[in-house]
Amino acid sequence: MEPRSIGFAVLAALLWSTPAHAQKATEQFIPIGQSPGLSGKYTYLGAIEMADSLARRVTAGGRSVQVTERTRIWLDRSGAKRPNVAGSFDDLQAGRRVEIKYENEARRERADWIKVQIDADQ
Amino acid sequence: MAKAMPWKGGFPGVGTWARAGGFLCVFALAACEQAPPVPQDPLVAKGREIFFNETFAGNGRTCGTCHRAEENFTLGPAFIATLPPDDPLFVAETNPALATLENPVLLRRFGLILENLDGFGDLENVFTQRGIPHTLALPNSVASAQGPRTGWSGDGAPGDGSLRSFATGAVIQHFPRTLNRVPDVDFRLPTDEELDALEAFQLSLGRQEDLALPLPLKGVVAGRGQAIFLDNALGKCNACHFNAGANGNPAIFGADAGNLNFNTGVEDLPDQPADLTGERVPPDDGLGRPGDGTFNTPPLVEAADTGPFFHNNSVETIEGAVAFYNGDTFNNSPAGQLIIGATGSGINLEATQTEAVAGFLRAINALENIREAVALLEESAAQKQGPARGTLALAGAETDDAIAVLAGAELSLEAVAHLRKARRLIKKAARSWFFRKRLTREAIEEQRKARGEIVAES
Repeated sequence: MEPRSIGFAVLAALLWSTPAHAQKATEQFIPIGQSPGLSGKYTYLGAIEMADSLARRVTAGGRSVQVTERTRIWLDRSGAKRPNVAGSFDDLQAGRRVEIKYENEARRERADWIKVQIDADQ
Repeated sequence: MAKAMPWKGGFPGVGTWARAGGFLCVFALAACEQAPPVPQDPLVAKGREIFFNETFAGNGRTCGTCHRAEENFTLGPAFIATLPPDDPLFVAETNPALATLENPVLLRRFGLILENLDGFGDLENVFTQRGIPHTLALPNSVASAQGPRTGWSGDGAPGDGSLRSFATGAVIQHFPRTLNRVPDVDFRLPTDEELDALEAFQLSLGRQEDLALPLPLKGVVAGRGQAIFLDNALGKCNACHFNAGANGNPAIFGADAGNLNFNTGVEDLPDQPADLTGERVPPDDGLGRPGDGTFNTPPLVEAADTGPFFHNNSVETIEGAVAFYNGDTFNNSPAGQLIIGATGSGINLEATQTEAVAGFLRAINALENIREAVALLEESAAQKQGPARGTLALAGAETDDAIAVLAGAELSLEAVAHLRKARRLIKKAARSWFFRKRLTREAIEEQRKARGEIVAES
């Protein structure tokens, strides 16, 4: 391999770390279950069974998932005709309906984002 | 050789019709529609209908409001200046509820659109101002080894991040009745069927295949520009814009690398026109939230007639865009430093070399214009009088683009002469009841002669 080729190979390796991303900004306004290409295929949809604020873990569908610093939490208030807003771990309460997208669909260890359904009276 | 010349083959993309549509209004037929003719594929036809007419119960905008058919599916300041005050593009000026949806000064002067890629929590301070990317050649520019890359930074789409999902995010960002952005109040989201159709339509636009460089270009300037473009020790362009497209060179980045993101330092350019206005233009951090400063690689075949350039419309001419890579801003950027590390030097073209590379880009853009024009002319010959007029006018518009791109740098002047002759024949054909097919054949012949002046056929 010529030096220039080696150089470009290094360049390729360095650039390879740039990941592809879906856009999380407008995702906030998409109601639970309607995320295109994700809902019904790659997300969990159901009720929270348990939330452990100390460990920052949520159990839903019999599976415990880690809520990390990077996890986006949104309150889906579209059913009440109110704007969706950012939420916090405190909004992850047992019984509430959520949609969870995992950072890694195969492992399902950490949540990428969680949408929490907020009804009109909540 | 013919197989190595993708512009020679294939049925015209819908993009040909669409891109040319608006030029009819300007140059040929006063009463034309802005949308292209209805395609034969039902899904593409449905997508076209949605793209140009569906407002999704929002503020009146459609996809075609910003991705104008008559502007090569982008939108520049010169065209914006021709729009009436009540055009939906200007909803921020006409609807008090949307006063901060755009910055009207930057929109009108530079064609910049406000985006909230880093979230909607602080609308007054957290936003970016970006140009409108064209939607041509998407089959060759979205895929990457790490998933689809859409928009200027590769993360333009919500959901699974695909081109199909892009429209959902666009409706939320650009179409709302109020900034509350409540679904089924401020807009409705596209259905799965609509997303399928929009994706099919967008994928049908423009070039469907990448070039296979080098081309046997006849012009000495364009030919030298191609050589510089391909030279990994000089221009170094082909590493990231393989075959003048949007993908990384597979010999360098791997066979399936596809589209790549880079931080080229455009954000650090001094004296950016938008900044000079004194209007608020927060830094754009590119891919991700928070961003990593990278933006994805656009295709170059379509570049010469789709400026201004870069994600922030900071450079007006194709020559300026090429010159950017010679400057300190690029060579000191992360991407520039990687190139220096990989090749031992930055990009340091002289003015003549810069113009040669730009001349090469102008030449391949004109060849793409001619490819589409010829295909449209052939199509028109098989049509009845009414539809043929529309198709002919669209072919004329492609021809106008080719003329402008070449004449703008005084390139291939013999080709320009043939193109001007073709343009006159197309106008005559559109008016003629009895000699339309003959005139169309003559126009095709002039187009081929023009192509023959730019590139050797064998």
